[in-house]
Amino acid sequence: MSIDHPILEVRGLLKSIHSGTHQVDILRGISFAVERGQFVAIMGPSGSGKSTLLGLLAGLDTPSAGKVILDGQEIQDLAEDDMAVLRGRKIGFVFQSYQLVPTLTAEENVLLPLDLAGDGFAGAGRARRLLERVGLADRFDHYPVQLSGGEQQRVALARAFVGRPPLILADEPTGNLDSANGKHVLDILVELNRSEGTTLVLVTHNQELAARADRLVTLHDGRIASDELLG
Amino acid sequence: MIVPFPWKTAFRLAWRDARASPGKFFFIALAVAMGVGALAGVRGFCGAFRTMLLRDARTLMAADLAVREFHMATEEEEAILSSLNERGVDSTWVTETVSAMSSEASGRPLLVVVKAVDPGKYPFYGKIELDPPGPLSGALTEDTVTASPDLLFRLGIEIGDEVRLGDGTFRVAAVVRVEPDRMTGSFNVGPRVMLSREALDRSGLIRPGSRASQRYLFKLPPEGISIEKARKELRAVFEGAYITDYRETHPTIRRGLDRATNFLSLVSLVALIVGALGVAMAMYSHLQQKLDTIAIFKCIGARSSQVIRIFMVQTIALGLAGSLAGVLFGWLIQIGFPSFLPDYIPVPTGLEWQPVVAVQALAIGVLTTLLFTLPTLLGVREIRPAVVFRRDMEPPDARAKRGTVLRVGLLIVAVLIAVAAWLSESLEVGAWFAGALLVSLLALNLVARLLMRFLKAVPRLLPRKLSPSWRHGVANLHRPGVHANVVLVALGIGVMFTLTVYILQASVVSQLALSAPPDMPNLFMTNITHTDRDGLEEWITQYPGVEGDIDLVPSVAARLVSIDGLPLEQVYDRRRGRTYRATRNLTWRRKMPDFLEVVEGSWWEGTPEEFLVSARESTAKRLGIQVGSELEWMVGSGPVRAKVVALHRAEAIRPGSRFGFILSPNALRDVPTVFYGSARVAPEQAPELQQAAFEKFPSVTIISIADVLRIVQEIVDQIALVIRFVSAFTVLAGVVILASSVIATRLRRVRETAILKTLGATRARVTGIFSVEFLILGLSAGLMGSLLATAFTGLLLEELLDVRFEFDPWPHLAAITGTAVLANLAGWMASFQILGRKPLAVMRGE
Repeated sequence: MSIDHPILEVRGLLKSIHSGTHQVDILRGISFAVERGQFVAIMGPSGSGKSTLLGLLAGLDTPSAGKVILDGQEIQDLAEDDMAVLRGRKIGFVFQSYQLVPTLTAEENVLLPLDLAGDGFAGAGRARRLLERVGLADRFDHYPVQLSGGEQQRVALARAFVGRPPLILADEPTGNLDSANGKHVLDILVELNRSEGTTLVLVTHNQELAARADRLVTLHDGRIASDELLG
Repeated sequence: MIVPFPWKTAFRLAWRDARASPGKFFFIALAVAMGVGALAGVRGFCGAFRTMLLRDARTLMAADLAVREFHMATEEEEAILSSLNERGVDSTWVTETVSAMSSEASGRPLLVVVKAVDPGKYPFYGKIELDPPGPLSGALTEDTVTASPDLLFRLGIEIGDEVRLGDGTFRVAAVVRVEPDRMTGSFNVGPRVMLSREALDRSGLIRPGSRASQRYLFKLPPEGISIEKARKELRAVFEGAYITDYRETHPTIRRGLDRATNFLSLVSLVALIVGALGVAMAMYSHLQQKLDTIAIFKCIGARSSQVIRIFMVQTIALGLAGSLAGVLFGWLIQIGFPSFLPDYIPVPTGLEWQPVVAVQALAIGVLTTLLFTLPTLLGVREIRPAVVFRRDMEPPDARAKRGTVLRVGLLIVAVLIAVAAWLSESLEVGAWFAGALLVSLLALNLVARLLMRFLKAVPRLLPRKLSPSWRHGVANLHRPGVHANVVLVALGIGVMFTLTVYILQASVVSQLALSAPPDMPNLFMTNITHTDRDGLEEWITQYPGVEGDIDLVPSVAARLVSIDGLPLEQVYDRRRGRTYRATRNLTWRRKMPDFLEVVEGSWWEGTPEEFLVSARESTAKRLGIQVGSELEWMVGSGPVRAKVVALHRAEAIRPGSRFGFILSPNALRDVPTVFYGSARVAPEQAPELQQAAFEKFPSVTIISIADVLRIVQEIVDQIALVIRFVSAFTVLAGVVILASSVIATRLRRVRETAILKTLGATRARVTGIFSVEFLILGLSAGLMGSLLATAFTGLLLEELLDVRFEFDPWPHLAAITGTAVLANLAGWMASFQILGRKPLAVMRGE
């Protein structure tokens, strides 16, 4: 794998949706690149287009114009299934509302990406180790409803990292948690990101959280208002 | 980028997903089990029956080889019989006919099947089981008969009592419990007596020219003559006779069995398709609840095909579980099935389990389930992963979706036709069946949608005060996950089917009785001798209620031997008059009856001295007979020659119109003759007349059309009972689907009940709401079924069967009420636990 290109790059990204008779422009031309190993926080007020941007970065939606280049590959025109496979290899996800599969145990949830990639059995050890690292060694067989919000989010972290993706996308990962639990989850996320050598792109409107990033991109009204490296 | 995704993983994920909601899946598997059970049961029974036909063929024929014809043996035939006897072939002669019988207790004569046998020889295979037990030769003497159990009952007699049959009085010596060859005999419906040949002679029922079936049973020696040879020799002489041997299943019975198997398989298929619709519905609501999960799957790298595979595994597992249960269930049906059959059909002993049938039913069950769930499964492709982020996703491209729907629709139609064609062994029947079923399903779906739309509007129209139970109950039908229209279609199609069978059964018979035109005869007399003839004619004409003249037609057994001096064998060689070598009955008439029309030549005047004959136009054409031809017959022991003076055409349904030749009166004056005829009597007078005639002319058999209709009714009822039994599984499958839809929404119901209770609703109020919901579902499904059944039967009766369709509201009311009751039962059974839950526990999510 060559390393001379950024892990993630967007060029001139536009996104508008048509609702009824009028058109709403959500993203109005966004360009930036993310280097490997960087921890980038994206901030902005509600409606500034943060979540839409994250969705486009993950190939969950198609831009109206512009390019998304993931690890050297343009993804905006990929077929949905090809995109799914690519996501499985390259991206780990952390959502604000955890999004665990309610019918699966903690361990099974963590194993899910490996199952889908076809090596569920091989990864059983890694899944358990990750659960241990997020402090859930005694919760392997618990279902999501039996876990607290903080615990569910820690399972989600383990799931995001299990397939060793180069990129982690996180959408308000502490948004649903109280400050103590939120801090705990963030500590684990940052620690895992560092030890696994991944790149982390995190969307939030929490100042405190953003302050821990290497770089802060601020969106306003569909455009990049500022892009600064933090000390 | 192809990532391996083994089925094993799909299985693991499918299992992990399914274990969370076992109840939901259990019930829906049961719906499939209904259909598969009916299919496996019916086909299993028919398969076992077929095996039995072959295995017990000797017993069912009571012989190795049997010959049946409808006249007395000719000299040639007698000759081959004795020739076979000389070569070690044992044979016996069985005569079967229909006559009237009476007893002291019941003055009314009863139409009975009379079977005369030689108890010393009959049966060659199998055993007549008597009550009281004993050998047949002990029970049948010159003065005794044996009777079927229903005969005792209908004549009000017991063993040892006397009955009158023809000219004789006989004592009933025993009741026949088992008669091995009953199914292969000539008449198998109605009460029956068996007697010895001597007793038959004493009754005077059989005379030359009488209509009776003569059966010759043969038992071959272990060596010397093969069955092929014996059969070939018999075939050469007994032309036009019906010959069967034990190596084949009885052809008539086999054909009947095949038809019944094909038809009942299709009926079962309806039940199976209802079950499959249920699975489709369950999978649909399952997937609706899984939209988020599927989106998560896609977010973390699942392709659509992987997700589809996971839910496909679930569908197949459901279909398989249901089908396996169905196969077990079918085994029970197979065992219970015989009790729906008339008693003259022997129940195969040791009904064997049919592995082939089980595998077939399993395959069809899984295939049908998968087929109907396919649209839902393919819908997985439309689910966008981004719903995890935003709900306001743009809808997927409608055009692409429409293309998929069309392709899947075509696939469903094609597979359905293929399965139906395979089950019915006819592409045409399969196509018609699939077409009719799809039209019914679409029509039911349309009506269901309209009804649901109407019901949605109703609560707004109801005054607010009227009844909160009604408002809530109706609103419940639109609850997500209820799929009221699927439930309505599933339940409605069962009601429609069962009701259609019932209406057809009722109308066909009643219309048959009504459609006999008023000027047609309704009383038929047979077996009238020379001695009885004049007395009977005079007596019956003067009997009160008899309208018009009676028409007595003479009948003489005769065999055509030559045409213009050319032996018939050579006529046969030149032209295709093959059946004319058989003995045919002749008649004579003085005047030309008015239902005849002479097309060539002219009818004789008065009673000519010479022997003249008028030939039926079609018969003449086949044999090359013209006006002026000389014909010669063998009648009894002597020849009769007559000259053709006319060719005639006849209205087909008049008595006596079926004779090929009508001779002038003198020609057959001195030969033994049997007369038969018909009369028209006021229907209410018929039973009385029958009884009086039986007193006065005991050997004359008088059959009223009512007797015949009663037998037809009996047969139609039996058939309809079997069909209704099988179609009842369609209703059951529908009910199960209703129950499972209630169970699928149980969580929501529990929560709502808790909220309602918290807000002050009594248990009675909640009960009321649910009852209204189930009641409306049941009534609507019943109503829809009834509407479609009316349309269906109207169409069938008026267009196909040409029978006037009269609407009788009672079966419809019964069906609608019954469906409502069933729906309530099923609904309550599925939601019983909901009521008792304590609100707080529910709200806390315990």
